[in-house]
Amino acid sequence: MRTILLATVAALAVTGARAAELNALVWCDHTDPALIEPFEKAHGVKVNLKEYEGTGTALSLVEQSRPGDWDVFVIDGIDVPRAIDAGLLAPLPEAELPMADIFPELVMAENHTRDGKTYAVTEKFGYNTISYNKAKVDAAALADVTALWTDEAFEGRIAIYDYYLPVIGLVAMGLGKETAELTADDLPAIREALIAMKRNARSVVDVVSSQTVLATGEVDVLVGGGEWVTAILAAEQPELDWMIPEQGAVRWSQSIGIFADSEKKDLALEFVKYILSPEGQARLATSSCYWAMPANAKAGAVLSDQQKAALRWDDQAEYLKRAQLYPAPDGDLDAAMQDVWTEMLQQ
Amino acid sequence: MNRLLPVAAWGYALALYGFIFLPVAVLVLFSFQDGRLPIPPFDGPSLKWYSQVWGDRKLMAALGNSLAVAMLSSGVAVALGFLAAWGLARGRLWGTRAMQGLITAPLTVSYLLIGLGLMISFNLSGIGPSLVTVGIGHAVINTPLCFAICFASMGDHQVNIERAARDLGAREWQVLGLVTAPMLMPAILAAFALSVTFSWDEFIIAFLLSRFDVTLPVEIWSLLRSGLNPKTNAAGSVVFLISVAVVLVAEIVVARRRA
Amino acid sequence: MSAERAERRRAWAAVAPALVWTCAFFVVPFAIMAAMSLWQRQGREVVRVWDLSNYHAFFSKPHLVGALWNSLEITLAVTAISVALAYPLAWIIAELVPRRFQRLALMLAVLPFWTSYVVRSYAWTLVLAKNGVLNQVLLGMGAIAEPLEISATRTATVIGFVHFFVMLLTLTIYANLLQLPPNYRRAAADLGAGPLRVFWHITLPLTLPGVMVGAFLTFVLCIGDYITPQILGGNSELVLPQVIMLQLGRGADLPMAAALSIVLMAVVTLAWLGCARWLRLERA
Repeated sequence: MRTILLATVAALAVTGARAAELNALVWCDHTDPALIEPFEKAHGVKVNLKEYEGTGTALSLVEQSRPGDWDVFVIDGIDVPRAIDAGLLAPLPEAELPMADIFPELVMAENHTRDGKTYAVTEKFGYNTISYNKAKVDAAALADVTALWTDEAFEGRIAIYDYYLPVIGLVAMGLGKETAELTADDLPAIREALIAMKRNARSVVDVVSSQTVLATGEVDVLVGGGEWVTAILAAEQPELDWMIPEQGAVRWSQSIGIFADSEKKDLALEFVKYILSPEGQARLATSSCYWAMPANAKAGAVLSDQQKAALRWDDQAEYLKRAQLYPAPDGDLDAAMQDVWTEMLQQ
Repeated sequence: MNRLLPVAAWGYALALYGFIFLPVAVLVLFSFQDGRLPIPPFDGPSLKWYSQVWGDRKLMAALGNSLAVAMLSSGVAVALGFLAAWGLARGRLWGTRAMQGLITAPLTVSYLLIGLGLMISFNLSGIGPSLVTVGIGHAVINTPLCFAICFASMGDHQVNIERAARDLGAREWQVLGLVTAPMLMPAILAAFALSVTFSWDEFIIAFLLSRFDVTLPVEIWSLLRSGLNPKTNAAGSVVFLISVAVVLVAEIVVARRRA
Repeated sequence: MSAERAERRRAWAAVAPALVWTCAFFVVPFAIMAAMSLWQRQGREVVRVWDLSNYHAFFSKPHLVGALWNSLEITLAVTAISVALAYPLAWIIAELVPRRFQRLALMLAVLPFWTSYVVRSYAWTLVLAKNGVLNQVLLGMGAIAEPLEISATRTATVIGFVHFFVMLLTLTIYANLLQLPPNYRRAAADLGAGPLRVFWHITLPLTLPGVMVGAFLTFVLCIGDYITPQILGGNSELVLPQVIMLQLGRGADLPMAAALSIVLMAVVTLAWLGCARWLRLERA
């Protein structure tokens, strides 16, 4: 039976593998034609994009593929070591990349470099914190993040961003824990806070419905939100804003790298270079799915003042000080965190 | 009592028609919205979202993909279903009931499970997801349907005509292609049309078995994840319009034929 | 004799492709999935352990079993409500609408069927949103003081489902009503039964088997659906298909997804057995 299966599909699928295509596994901000089309035109190639949410999903997609299926990988900075461990990434030629222009805090050599070789470069970053409607909620009421799960005043007025890592990180910081040092022992307290917060929540939403629930007035507060939710709406709905509570925020960052078994490494490198160039960075920072800070400081020259204001370009130094990285759990803790998350969803 | 019943009945029917049409009416109305959010107040009419849909090359590619997948997979499903129905209706074969059961079995299983089973199997065999695998999945769900429709329309008088054709020296493929198939054309066309609409609208199998090239429902799904957006309304309205046009044409053709 | 044998050979040749196809792309994948449900995901590997640990995990985790209960509750509610709403409409179309307008009435009743499946759920989010059409209209009429909080709840999921299945059931029940021999009802009426009694004692019992088939179809389609709860439910609770998709997406845990699918399959099979038994009893 299996041979029949194979033969049928093989016969039908000969049309595959055309030369001038680049396959990239990305977050949704990379699917904006305004970002991709200039590269396609300049190189006369087609970029195939598959978007995902969350490193688990990405790794699962990679696992379900054959070697050589993928060329470019956009992955959370915090998960780059996992990808290097798994042998997924190829070393990058640092000399050809604008390493000197990357904001120093975002170089993240401990994540990106191993044995003197660089495997990925930060391309975009921002914060998972709190987005809210200024017209309906006073920032002071949100200064203490624990209010979200202890204060009944928020009942039915908040939505939770449906990605377990940053939200668990945010809750952990609210409980006075360091995101980098979480263990299984911390989970019961986090679980309790999450479930209490779920009681206050109207819904749990993915990346893009995050914008909608705030924009339509469905809820007043989005837990796990940040500039990536509200910056794109700045012009039309100035009442939507974001803030960092006293306990701080979770910093996210995306890194870009090349798959070790890519068969088009040269073209892939051209793509990485384009994304990290000031023009590519400006387009990425303001792409249609979500806005966020570019990692390349020189993108500032390309962005308009209005765009920079929406991104809070000038406040970054202070924000960076108050943020911690995503939790980076090992396999077991990761599974336990996902269980807690599913349990929270089910409440 | 007798006077009250019709009034209540018409009121009920009206209310239920209202319920049935409410989402479609809202969908179409707010596809003409001028602002960024498809919620009241209505500030249109504007056609800008339609021009965005028109200019969205991914959406247009998905439209083409959907048509191709629907046509080809339905072709396969009709061919398989028709042949099987013919074989089972003609020969008194050993195990006819069991074979009927096997061929119609996919009808009783959720699409999600069919898609998942295929995904796991293709995966283990090293076959990557593509429009071809989507087409296979759609042919799997539509074959039983085509089989059932063709089987129901097979009758004894057709057997006699086939015999006559054979006696007159027709070859087997000629009997099948020039005698049986034309006689059953209404059933075959109905099966094909139904398959096409099922494939055209199918989401979960297409979602699980595709990667870069996707079908329209999958593309609309990723549009839709960009939240409430009049562009999604416009895309949905276009799909609605196409489907209704197809249905109307089919209806008129059938009515003509009857008259 | 040989003519019959030739005919039989031809018949085999005609059936064979569909059989091979169904085996290759339905039976075998299903068997593979069933086998995989006995494997286990450990770390980044899928290990072929051949035990029931996934099923054990399912039944020992309340939030997973809860998904099954949610699925059942929603599906049963949807089935009951849809039948209750669709039956009268089908009856009105079959009995009260003049014959030559029946086809039109029916086509209108299922017209929204032709919006794409995904789009239909999306359209309901527009209607039910806190600032959506329904709330704005009701607020404008003064019918309510505060906006109804329907979006992202189970109610929203149920409404989305009911909308779809009312259309489907109206079609199937109407077809059933048409097949009723009018003589029975005329006879009952001649004997002095009022319209309600005719309905209650003649029409309803005679159409019940058809209604049951429609209800079973609703059950199967509803319990296996991912889109409607995912779009309308707002993750306020999870149903089984959503949990299956979570296993796929978040954890790449194919064995667990396979095990959950087998559970879903088992539930549908049980429902089918129950329905088939009922129909047989009815006929006997």
